[in-house]
Amino acid sequence: MKNPARKIIGGICVLAVSMTSPRIEAEEPTAEQLTFFEEKIRPVLAEHCYKCHSSRSKKLKAELYLDSREGLLKGGETGPVVVAGKPEESLLIRAVVYLDNELEMPPNKKLPDRVIADLQEWIRMGVPWPREEPSARKEEKLGDRDWKKLRMENWAFRPMKKPAAPEVKNKQLVNNPIDNFILAKLESKGLKPLGKAAPRLLLRRVYLNLTGLPPTPSQVDEFLADKRPDALDHLVNSLLESPHYGERWARHWLDTARYSDGLGGFGDNGPLPGAWRYRDWVVDSFNRDLPYDQFVRQQVAGDLINEPLAFYGTGFFAIGPNYKSDGGDPEAKAQAEAETLADRIDTFSRAFLGLTVQCARCHDHKFDPIPQKDYYSIAGVFRNSKTHKRPAASPEIAKRFNDHQNAIKETEKNIKEWNDRNKADGENKPEEAELKKLQDKLQELKKTIPAKPAGEVHVLGENGNKDMHVAIRGDLRKKGEVAPRQFLTIMTDGSGPVFKEGSGRKELADSIFEAGKPLASRVMVNRIWQYHFGHGLVRTPSNFGKLGETPSHPGLLDWLAASFEESGWSIKQLHRLILASATYQRSSRFNQENFDKDGDNRLLWRMSPRRMEIEVWRDSLLAVTDELDRKIGGKPTDKIFDVKRRTLYTTISRNGDRFASDAFLRLFDFPSPASTAPKRAISTVPQQYLFMLNSPFMIARAKALGARLQSEEKDDPARIARAYNLLYGRPPTKEETEIGLTFLAEKGGKIPRFQQYAQVLLSAHEFIQVR
Amino acid sequence: MNLGGDHTAALTRRESLRRIGAGFGSLGLAGAMADPALFASTKEIGKQAVSPLAPKAPHFAPKAKHVIQLFMPGGPSQVDTFDHKPDIAKHAGKRPSLVNRKSLRNTKNGLMVSPFGFKRYGECGKMVSDIFPHVGRLVDDLCFIHSCHTDIPEHAGAILMMTLGALQPNRPSMGSWLTYGLGSENQDLPGFVAMSPRAQPRGKLANWGSSFLPGAHAGTYVNIASMKPENVMRNLSNPHLPRLEQRNQANLLSRLNKMHLDRLEKDNHLEAGIEAMELAFRMQFAVPDVFDISKESKETRDLYGNSEYAKGCLIARRLVERGVRSVQLSHSIDGYDIAWDTGHGDIKGGHARLAKACDQGIAALIQDLKRRGLLDETLVVWGGEFGRAPTSEGKKGRDHDHYGFTMFMAGGGVKPGFSYGATDNFGLTAVENRVHVHDLHATILHLMGLDHEKLTYRYSGRDYRLTDVHGKVIHDIIA
Repeated sequence: MKNPARKIIGGICVLAVSMTSPRIEAEEPTAEQLTFFEEKIRPVLAEHCYKCHSSRSKKLKAELYLDSREGLLKGGETGPVVVAGKPEESLLIRAVVYLDNELEMPPNKKLPDRVIADLQEWIRMGVPWPREEPSARKEEKLGDRDWKKLRMENWAFRPMKKPAAPEVKNKQLVNNPIDNFILAKLESKGLKPLGKAAPRLLLRRVYLNLTGLPPTPSQVDEFLADKRPDALDHLVNSLLESPHYGERWARHWLDTARYSDGLGGFGDNGPLPGAWRYRDWVVDSFNRDLPYDQFVRQQVAGDLINEPLAFYGTGFFAIGPNYKSDGGDPEAKAQAEAETLADRIDTFSRAFLGLTVQCARCHDHKFDPIPQKDYYSIAGVFRNSKTHKRPAASPEIAKRFNDHQNAIKETEKNIKEWNDRNKADGENKPEEAELKKLQDKLQELKKTIPAKPAGEVHVLGENGNKDMHVAIRGDLRKKGEVAPRQFLTIMTDGSGPVFKEGSGRKELADSIFEAGKPLASRVMVNRIWQYHFGHGLVRTPSNFGKLGETPSHPGLLDWLAASFEESGWSIKQLHRLILASATYQRSSRFNQENFDKDGDNRLLWRMSPRRMEIEVWRDSLLAVTDELDRKIGGKPTDKIFDVKRRTLYTTISRNGDRFASDAFLRLFDFPSPASTAPKRAISTVPQQYLFMLNSPFMIARAKALGARLQSEEKDDPARIARAYNLLYGRPPTKEETEIGLTFLAEKGGKIPRFQQYAQVLLSAHEFIQVR
Repeated sequence: MNLGGDHTAALTRRESLRRIGAGFGSLGLAGAMADPALFASTKEIGKQAVSPLAPKAPHFAPKAKHVIQLFMPGGPSQVDTFDHKPDIAKHAGKRPSLVNRKSLRNTKNGLMVSPFGFKRYGECGKMVSDIFPHVGRLVDDLCFIHSCHTDIPEHAGAILMMTLGALQPNRPSMGSWLTYGLGSENQDLPGFVAMSPRAQPRGKLANWGSSFLPGAHAGTYVNIASMKPENVMRNLSNPHLPRLEQRNQANLLSRLNKMHLDRLEKDNHLEAGIEAMELAFRMQFAVPDVFDISKESKETRDLYGNSEYAKGCLIARRLVERGVRSVQLSHSIDGYDIAWDTGHGDIKGGHARLAKACDQGIAALIQDLKRRGLLDETLVVWGGEFGRAPTSEGKKGRDHDHYGFTMFMAGGGVKPGFSYGATDNFGLTAVENRVHVHDLHATILHLMGLDHEKLTYRYSGRDYRLTDVHGKVIHDIIA
């Protein structure tokens, strides 16, 4: 018996058994009744029911045993199946007469009417059953477990400690403690890490990694000329200050946030015209290095935090799908609501805690210590929160804007008064200096008008404080026990406080960094690590449960997580730490010996070469052709092939199937924003190359690059050299120049040879690859 | 500043040049002028590069290799098509307890006699409505399932249940699961093609989407009414470069990519990329070809007839003939996304027109597959997302019925001339050998050689299946 919904039903029964056995409750059956049972009832039950509902069932269904009187009276997931003496109230009868589409038993074929009549008669008799041993069954429930002990069984639930960095032999290969952890393991496995990457490759790696844009040739030259030993640190610092850093890293978070501009299509909601304000809030949060704990708190409960614009953060949930049903069918309506709640719980638990709480929607989690009740404890918080639209500006901002407008009007009025006084006859002419002062003031005021509060943002708001019931088998219409709103049992050792304020969202947000801290911090440092190295230390970044992978370097993960907390949850500080390590700066070259031992590069003997994400690729294409519009923020556009803004600003539909922009992004493995995306797949399909060979977008980029090179350099060798420097951050080899010149010297095609050549260079693997 | 060790060391190697010379450069150019089949062979470098659509071994020996789903969105009425119920006439206007069940609109009307006559067909003597005369003549090739049922009586959810096994649009479609499990047998064409005339079925792209499965498994949608190559697949041709010139350009790209790969020595993704580019080049010619039905004989085109749906049927045959794994062909007239739903107001007019628009094409497809020896390896599945109640809605219509409805299959290892399961005397509720949509899916996968419990994809922390946690194979309909 696994379903906690059974606890109440079960509990009552157990109580009844211990006080007065049901056998005493019922009158002793007569011999005739028992004969009736043995001849008419037991064979029917055995033939039609026991395959799924007996102690001998290979796979027990609905937690229901029909091979004992206790089993019938106690019932299964949907409650008792017989009420002795009352066939009309007995679920068993409802099921066999096929009254309810959900509950038609036996499922294959309706029983003959004669048999149904016998069953009714038998129940009317009081369910006579001979004395026999009750069937043996499993009674274990998650709710009864020793939570403290359970918690210590999974590495991810354990409290964090900052471990000491291990000793290594090759101390000269260590830049910082990260390298101790990595090197110690490499040394113990007999692998030799590669040396430092060539400066040009490292530079390109860092630029693309932090800003999503390749370095320009002059940035390359500048870096190569910088002979300071800490030249790279300086570069990293300056890139972290670039507003493009926020754009690049916001996009990683938006994968986790399953960000879209709505438009889920039938069964989901319409457009979310203010979703982009949440996106810009994320960009801004990364740029100003909003401490991660606050970043998370504002996304869960920003509307309940007294800080201007913190409510933008709750867009994290509000931009999720809001499923609806197609007609008035109550079953479909409940199903749609359940699905919407599932989105919230899934996104909440996987994004912040790396747990698949969603798996406990219909039953206790099959692998992790998450009872079904936990799911509804958290679902209750979201069911008491509404998704709505709110003016984009906070009252403070609106006030600041209005006060400013009033000040302008006031000053204009003062100037008019001055003029009136000046025109008026009389002795008291006003002073010129006074006018000058007023005019200066007006000019200053007009220069500093704060942003106009306009538009709306999708946010959460409070909407009640009622606990939910556990939904039996995930069906909201079938209520089980009450699930008080509180944090996950496993992280509170089974004794967490019940949320008291409103929906409980504020307390839920706080819990993440209290009871949930070991998970929250490990999960985030692992995500950051993944975006720097291609893989996390845990390769299932949103599942730290039993079905997830264990960390390749548990000590390093905890060391990073603890350092993260010590830094006041500074993400930029974490970047600095990681990028300063020798591990990050390693070459990406191949090495057969290491490859044979660790082909997956789990031990990080090299930097794994990677393909650019689609956003980086498109932005880089526009950057090297000198067409990129670097404006930050604002409304999205689906004109991805015409507008030259960064790909971050593309309209994304929920199912990734509405716009040409969706199709383009999905072609290159942009994740479906239907649910939180822990990492991206890398697929290689012919359609990607059709895009490179034939798309008007690529043809236009080739034309722009051709034109740029024609105008910047005088002859073909110089143009080829310039192209290689722009695109790949390096000069061409002699052979590459010759190949280029040969191609340019040939004739053919309706478009200029140089444009054909430029398209090849832009489509080449060297461009899309990061080494 | 030099390039660093990685670059220069690899570039000086004679080895790399030799390989380029013998690789794409020469072969590709030769191929461009000959048959497309001779285009660059990529075998020598593509060993580890496995395309996501490369054929994969099934779990066990399959009965069928291809599926054509003839989808009838909107809910065709079973008692007006293939589930003949003479008892309705005996109790016309009455509401016996058997049919006294809630429908979506909860109508209280009595039984309504079908406005269509029924005739006995074939050796099996199946009764078929007069609106499906062509299909009727083929009953000895068909396997009817009269006891289908589904979860809800609403179109959007029930359509998704039929196309992807869930009520919300957040799961991969059946066609995507099939190419995920089996790949496809033609690498120059998409592995899963979805088609409809004008209107896409309600739920649109979700019905052939890959959801969390890799994007390569998403169905390619083609609108039969406006079939141009550029609608079939994006970026299928280059506006500026004729074939030979483009081959030159592609050769240069291959060469540079090969040089890059040599510098790295080993990279499976990049090797796959070089192969994918060659496939892309070939697709430019293979894709427009398959949709060009003018290449069929007049006799064949006449067999199918002129309706848009029939055109889709003919293309479906051309697709499976070339190895495409899965085809979903949805019916629609008047640009309506749930065409058969016209049954609410008027069964007679609506159903007659809808049947007329697809009857001949469906029959032609089955005959054509059969005479070409393709029916044995192609499973054809006909049906809607649910049926319609035998009681009336208004005076002439019928409301949704998810308690029981009829589908039929043909070919692909199912029993011909066979009927399975039954609804009650009036056709409302499936009472004998009930078949849920999950069971249908389990059976279709089984016929294709896949165990529906083993075809899984790990996502969001658990293994997903087409059949979720349900589904049982209906062995009784398998030949």
